[in-house]
Amino acid sequence: MSIFTQTKLLPSPKHHVHTICHSPLLRTTVHCSVSTTAKPKPVPEKLIIEPPRLQQLEPSPDNIRPMLNDPSLLSTWSHRAWVASGCTTVLISLAKSVAGAAHSHIWAEPILAGLVGYVLADLGSGVYHWGIDNYGGASTPIFGAQIEAFQGHHKWPWTITKRQFANNLHALARVITFTVLPLDLAFDDPILHGFVAVCSGCIMFSQQFHAWAHGTKSRLPPLVLALQDSGLLISRSQHSAHHRQPYNNNYCIVSGVWNEFLDKQKVFEALEMILFFKQGLRPRSWSEPSSEWIEEAETISQLANN
Amino acid sequence: MASLSLPKHTFTSLLPTQTPRHYYPSSQIVSKSSNSQFYGLKLSNSTSLPIPSSSSGKNIICGKVDKGKVPPNFNLKDQDGKSVSLSKFKGKPVVVYFYPADETPGCTKQACAFRDSYEKFKKAGAQVVGISGDDSASHKAFAKKYKLPFTLLSDEGNKVRKEWGVPSDLFGTLPGRQTYVLDKNGVVQLIYNNQFQPEKHIDETLKLLQSL
Repeated sequence: MSIFTQTKLLPSPKHHVHTICHSPLLRTTVHCSVSTTAKPKPVPEKLIIEPPRLQQLEPSPDNIRPMLNDPSLLSTWSHRAWVASGCTTVLISLAKSVAGAAHSHIWAEPILAGLVGYVLADLGSGVYHWGIDNYGGASTPIFGAQIEAFQGHHKWPWTITKRQFANNLHALARVITFTVLPLDLAFDDPILHGFVAVCSGCIMFSQQFHAWAHGTKSRLPPLVLALQDSGLLISRSQHSAHHRQPYNNNYCIVSGVWNEFLDKQKVFEALEMILFFKQGLRPRSWSEPSSEWIEEAETISQLANN
Repeated sequence: MASLSLPKHTFTSLLPTQTPRHYYPSSQIVSKSSNSQFYGLKLSNSTSLPIPSSSSGKNIICGKVDKGKVPPNFNLKDQDGKSVSLSKFKGKPVVVYFYPADETPGCTKQACAFRDSYEKFKKAGAQVVGISGDDSASHKAFAKKYKLPFTLLSDEGNKVRKEWGVPSDLFGTLPGRQTYVLDKNGVVQLIYNNQFQPEKHIDETLKLLQSL
């Protein structure tokens, strides 16, 4: 399941003209002050339609700082199509749940199932995030691109706030489409669909919740702030704890409701120890973070100019 | 989480019935008798457990180390490759702590905590010895990196761990983290087990040493 496709701008051929950045960076404390991408921004004149290109060798991600107006942060029609298809499958599931509940006159069970879906989506986001953050690399089959993107996200966490909506969500939306569509076709049970609709919806939108968690109070919509403050969505403070070395806690990014329990009970540490002793796999968080992981700060003025 | 002191009878109730105790490499040891609870199990009133002998020969364990007993002697290589035996420490209290592996987060925290309180151990007249299945080279690098002032011993094949009956965690997947405090006569006065709160081993052992 691809939740966190982040700075994929770096290996993509269309960005090669933007990849060399020579502007000096002053390493100071930075507070994210960039605008959020809460809504899709249809700006047709700026749309990049990607022509077919030959594959080119790309500089490795760690050498390239993403420019804030990089086209790779914009949504393409492909991105929008995937988000639309993902939303459609989720809405169909939701509709089936509501229709089934109305028909059978049962409301409590589908609603409860939805609640379970919301809670488990948070847990799922944490487990997946922990796995992607700690194991594998760019050459890992299936997950390689995401693992590489994660690296970029930890180095430039503010980039996510500059991504347009569909650009941010399309990878997850694709997975949700393939997962939920068969369920929509095969099942009609309103309780099952209550769970599926909420769980898959939360997973698909987790990347948006993640982006909001990187936003600033002054730039987030009041409703989002309220949801964050109430604990219904992952809060900015909780997620920023994940972005501090050694990057080994607060992995959940839907509501964050599982974070305290998982961290206090050392669940991920236990899993890491088991994988180490059974498979010889050493998680990334056990070692000093490499330069690819350590956050690169920019001056506030550079951010303000964008 | 608080450490637990369990009464005697708890161990017999935790014993698997009719199950021969076959000891395998430490990662597969399942010991029900003193199953560590992650958050602290202080064995201060344990009974010794009769274990039926296995027909597999070399894996027979005759009895684990309990409070009030003198543990079997061992002869292991330290981080410099020198042989060190337990009997060398007689005449002074010694803290023998078994830990899963070098360069893992919990073990690093534990080693650094022993290091940071090493003066207190010295003041109490005690030695500190860490034991894991890693080889001398690994111990040497570990000790050097974290400037550990005490001895680390290489228990190859986890033979001593098995002999002493150190229980595993998580259904045998993790080598247990268990610390023994031996008095100057070599008798075990405290056994403390806590996998995921390694710093507590220092507090508990110092508390006992200060009362010896």
